Amino acid sequence: MARSRLETVGSVFSRTRDLIRAGVLNEKPLWFDIYNAFPPLREPVFRRPRLRYGKAKAAIQDILYPEDRIRAKFYSAYGSGQKAFDLFNPNFKSTCQQFVEKYIELQKLGETDEEKLFVETGKALLAAGVILRRVEARTQKEGGHVSWESEPTGVKPQTVLEKNQPLQEVPQDQHLETSEEQPKGLSPP
Amino acid sequence: MVPAATVPRLLGAGVWPRPLRPHLLQSATPGRARPGGRTLASAATPAVSEPEDSIDVSDKILSQPLKHSDFFNVKELFSVRSLFDARVHLGHKAGCRHRFMEPYIFGSRLGQDIIDLEQTAAHLQLALNFMAHVAYRKGIILFVGRNRQFSHLIETTARNCGEYAHTRYFKGGLLTNAPLLLGPMVRLPDLIIFLHTLNNVFEPHVAVRDAAKMHIPTVGVVDTNCNPCLITYPIPGNDDSPPSIHLFCRLFQTTINRAKQKRRQMEALYRLQGPEGLGARGQGLAASPSLGGTHSPPEGE
Repeated sequence: MARSRLETVGSVFSRTRDLIRAGVLNEKPLWFDIYNAFPPLREPVFRRPRLRYGKAKAAIQDILYPEDRIRAKFYSAYGSGQKAFDLFNPNFKSTCQQFVEKYIELQKLGETDEEKLFVETGKALLAAGVILRRVEARTQKEGGHVSWESEPTGVKPQTVLEKNQPLQEVPQDQHLETSEEQPKGLSPP
Repeated sequence: MVPAATVPRLLGAGVWPRPLRPHLLQSATPGRARPGGRTLASAATPAVSEPEDSIDVSDKILSQPLKHSDFFNVKELFSVRSLFDARVHLGHKAGCRHRFMEPYIFGSRLGQDIIDLEQTAAHLQLALNFMAHVAYRKGIILFVGRNRQFSHLIETTARNCGEYAHTRYFKGGLLTNAPLLLGPMVRLPDLIIFLHTLNNVFEPHVAVRDAAKMHIPTVGVVDTNCNPCLITYPIPGNDDSPPSIHLFCRLFQTTINRAKQKRRQMEALYRLQGPEGLGARGQGLAASPSLGGTHSPPEGE
């Protein structure tokens, strides 16, 4: 069976069709009629992948929602949620998600001040569930460190240390001191 | 040309027998279809003095499904919601993105690419339709995938369809130097389905390029780090999560089995109808009861 092994020239279909037309290929392959009747959305022609240079960027947008602002504030204030995310359940609502929904509810009622809304939502959630009391305690602990909490470098070691605080106080105090010094040096004047 | 038993390297099920008859029939039709001209539509006058009935019947069997836009009703097998639940929309991180996958990407959520499921649904419908037609015409289908996590699943899928699978190390000249590696007079696959377009070192699988060289159409699941250029019917989708690959394997298996069952039904119907029933149209089949099948899938149009 005659073939042209030039995969960079045209598509499989164009090469087969031209070979048949030239009379080189005698029998039509099995898939030819099917391709003719149902061609793909893009003809499978070879293209050389070129790199992008300079400031050229891909035209792909970031997916962001208006709720992301609320989520960012929640995580900066309360740290990661107390309830572990159950990804097997498609209808799962995390603490953050409940917070966001309450926030939007209160916003629709007419409130405009963001700080007020934040506090109101916190109170409403406290009234709703038991878990949220720990949320309040966390804000008291982290109230002093809010300024450098938001920096990504400072968050991880901070949350780990705070969890271990009741267990080992002496070495942790030293760690706290050093970690306090580092971000203070990093934070912009 | 050669029965499945004498093809040692290809892992096969051997359930679907491959007699010589359909190959001869296919070689007969193109001769009729081109009476010295460029028209590829089927012509009326047979050049060879064979019994007219068998040619017309085979022509009817092969040409009828192409007139319907969805003869095998593959649209009902999946929906955008089912693709979403199987996590088909999740791509790799933005740094792994391949330039040619950009048209198929919806956006990037916190650095992870999300594939546009509307486009995936359209591509998947075309691919399943093509696959079904190839299986209907008794073509050989080869499943290829080099991700070790799913190699057993791919092999069992191929076994359940009665087709072939190759999920091990792909030797250099398997397709391009087949007479040497597999023996003389070996029939190459008519369609190659890639569950993973990349091999274990994240480079394009050799079979993609070799299939393009050997004029074999390909269907492939392309993730955001794959090159979809040479694949005839790409399906942009996740090829790393188990639910996603399980869904694709299930879809492919159902489509191929459905197509083969349809072929058995059509042949039985035309055999029953005999020479007088050659004028029967596709819609007539819808009224007649299903023959030899557990349930007849709804006709296309």
